[in-house]
Amino acid sequence: MIIKANIKEALRSLLTGKQRTILALIGIVIGIASVIGMISIGTIVQHEALRQFEDMGVDILTVRKEFDEKNKAAKFKLSDILELKNYSPIILEVAPYISSGTTFSYGGKTMYIDMMGVTESFFDLNKLNLQGGRFISDLDEHRFFCVIGSEIAQFLRKAGFENPLGQQFASGERIYTIVGILKAISEGGGIRPGNINMSVITHITTAVRVQEGEIESFMARVGPQSPSQIKAEIQNYFSKKAKGLNLKLRTAEELIAQMEKQMQLFTLLLGAIGSISLIVGGIGVMNVMLISVAERRKEIGIRRALGAQRFDIQSQFIMESVVLCLVGGFIGIGLGIVISYVFSYFVKWEFMMSKSAIMLGVGVATAVGVFFGFYPSRSAARLDPIAALRS
Amino acid sequence: MLNIVEIHKTYQIGPTEIKVLRGITLTVEKGEMLAIIGPSGSGKSTLMNMIGLLEQPTSGSYFIEGKKISYDNDRELSKIRNQKIGFVFQSYHLLPRLTAMDNVGIPLVYRDMKEKEIKERAKEYLKKVEVEDRAQHKPNELSGGQQQRVAIARALIGDPALVLADEPTGALDSRTGQEIMSLFKRLNEEEDITIIIITHDPKIALQCKRKVELKDGVIVG
Repeated sequence: MIIKANIKEALRSLLTGKQRTILALIGIVIGIASVIGMISIGTIVQHEALRQFEDMGVDILTVRKEFDEKNKAAKFKLSDILELKNYSPIILEVAPYISSGTTFSYGGKTMYIDMMGVTESFFDLNKLNLQGGRFISDLDEHRFFCVIGSEIAQFLRKAGFENPLGQQFASGERIYTIVGILKAISEGGGIRPGNINMSVITHITTAVRVQEGEIESFMARVGPQSPSQIKAEIQNYFSKKAKGLNLKLRTAEELIAQMEKQMQLFTLLLGAIGSISLIVGGIGVMNVMLISVAERRKEIGIRRALGAQRFDIQSQFIMESVVLCLVGGFIGIGLGIVISYVFSYFVKWEFMMSKSAIMLGVGVATAVGVFFGFYPSRSAARLDPIAALRS
Repeated sequence: MLNIVEIHKTYQIGPTEIKVLRGITLTVEKGEMLAIIGPSGSGKSTLMNMIGLLEQPTSGSYFIEGKKISYDNDRELSKIRNQKIGFVFQSYHLLPRLTAMDNVGIPLVYRDMKEKEIKERAKEYLKKVEVEDRAQHKPNELSGGQQQRVAIARALIGDPALVLADEPTGALDSRTGQEIMSLFKRLNEEEDITIIIITHDPKIALQCKRKVELKDGVIVG
C-alpha cells in the first residue's frame, strides 16, 4: 500500500534529521498549544458563566449610583431603597450595602479586608451560608455586632482563636463582637459584591456611621419582567425620591456578557500568538522539507526511474510534512491542555477540555502540513529524473 | 519488442546546439542480450536514457511491445517505466535507509501492491540473485557485488519486458564484474529476459549475443 509505505518513509526520514525536525517543530507546538489553550479557556469561561447563572439565578441585579458632577447632592437614602419593594410589585427584595477596604492586623500579621454594611436580606440574596452563629439581623441597627467571612475566620484560628465566635476586637474607637461566621463562597467574580470571604460585615446603619460614607449601591431580586421595564421602574421611582440621581443597572446577564468580553481579549491574544507561530512554524516546516528534498534528489531520481509518478513523489513529501506537523500538533495539544489547566487553577474555575478543541488541533496541524508541504513537494515532483539521478 | 526509429536528441546550451543523437534506429527482440558500446561522448548514456524513458527525444518515435509512446503523459510514462523496464545502474542506486528487501520491493510499491505480497516477492527475487541471506541488511552493509545483485533483483521484480543496465560492472573489480555478467547471462538464457547493457568495455560487449556500436551519435556497427 502506497500510503502506508509513504508514512513509514516519512517517519524514517524525520528520524534521520532529528535535530532539524525538533527545531522545526517548536513553532508548530507553540501554535497548536495556543489554539488549544484558546478554545479550552473559552470553554472554561462559558462553563463558569453558566455556573454563576445557576448559582445566583438570573433574577438578581445591582443598582449603582453613577457619579455626576452636576448632581452631587443627589444621594441614595436607606429608607428610599427599603421602600422600593413596597412601591413596585416588580421588585421583590432589596439589599442595600456599603463597602470600604481597610487592613486588619493581628499578631503581627496584616490582611486586607472589606468592611461591609448590609441588611438582613443580603444573606438570602447572595445565597450565603453560615459555619456558625447567626447573620446580621435588622434588629442590629447601630449596634457593633459583626459577621466574618471564612478567610478572616481562618486567619483568626491561625492566630490562636479556636472559636472566633463571641470574640471581640477593636477597630478605631469601637469594639465589635463576632456573632457569626460565613461559609466560604466560590470566588471568581459574579454578581456578589466585593469579596465576602474577606469581609467583616455589620449592619448598614452601623457601617454608614463608622465610615461616614454614603450608600452607593444595592442589590435587588426582581420579577420576570424585561430588563428595560425593570430599569424604567427603578429609574422612575428614584427620579421622584432623589432628583438628578443617575443610576446604573447591572444584571447577571450583563455581568456574564462583560466577563465574556474580557475573555475575548485574552482569546484574541492567544489566537494571534497561535496564528503567528503557526505561520512561523509552517515556514520552518517548509524549510525542513526543502532541505529534505534537496538532500534526496538522487532518491527522487531513483524512485522516478523505478516508476514513481510525479503524484507519488508529491504525496510522499506531503505525507512527510503532515507527519512532522502532526507530531508537533500532538505535543502542542498536550501543552495547550497544560496551559488551560494552569489557567483554570489560578482563576479557581473548573477545568474543562473540549473534544472539539483536540480535533481542531489535529485538523489545523494537518492543514499546516499540507499547506507548507505543498511547495517543497511540488518542486520534488517536478525534478527532472535524469538531473536528479546525476546529483 | 522494442523499436526506436530515427531518434534525434539535441541539447541547446546557450547559443550552441549539441547534437548528441543523430538518427538512431534500433530494434530489439524478446530474449536478446544486447550490448551498446561506444567511447565516452558517443551518446550512449543519452541513448540509454531514451530507451529508459527518462528523457524525451527531440524527434523520432519509440515503440514498446508495439505500443507507441507519447511523451506528454507523466502517468503513462511512469507506468511503462514501472512495468516494462528494469534499471540497473553503474553505482547501484539503492536507497540507503531501506533494507535490501525493501529496496527490491520499491517498483511494486508503485503498483499499490500489498506489503506482505511485496515482501514475499522481494524474498523470491533476492534468492534468484543469490543474496537472500542479506535481505535485512542496509546497502552500506553490503559489498559492491552484493549491492549490484540487489539492484538486479529490483530490476527484475516487476517482471519487465527489458532490463536496461548502464555500465553494470563499472564500479566492480573484474572478478565480481564477471560474476554479475554470468548472472545476466544466466537470466537471459534460463528465463528469456531481454537485457540491454550499455558499456565502454569491449570485453563485456563480447559476452553479449549482439553488439551495437555507437560513435558521435550514430550507430556505426
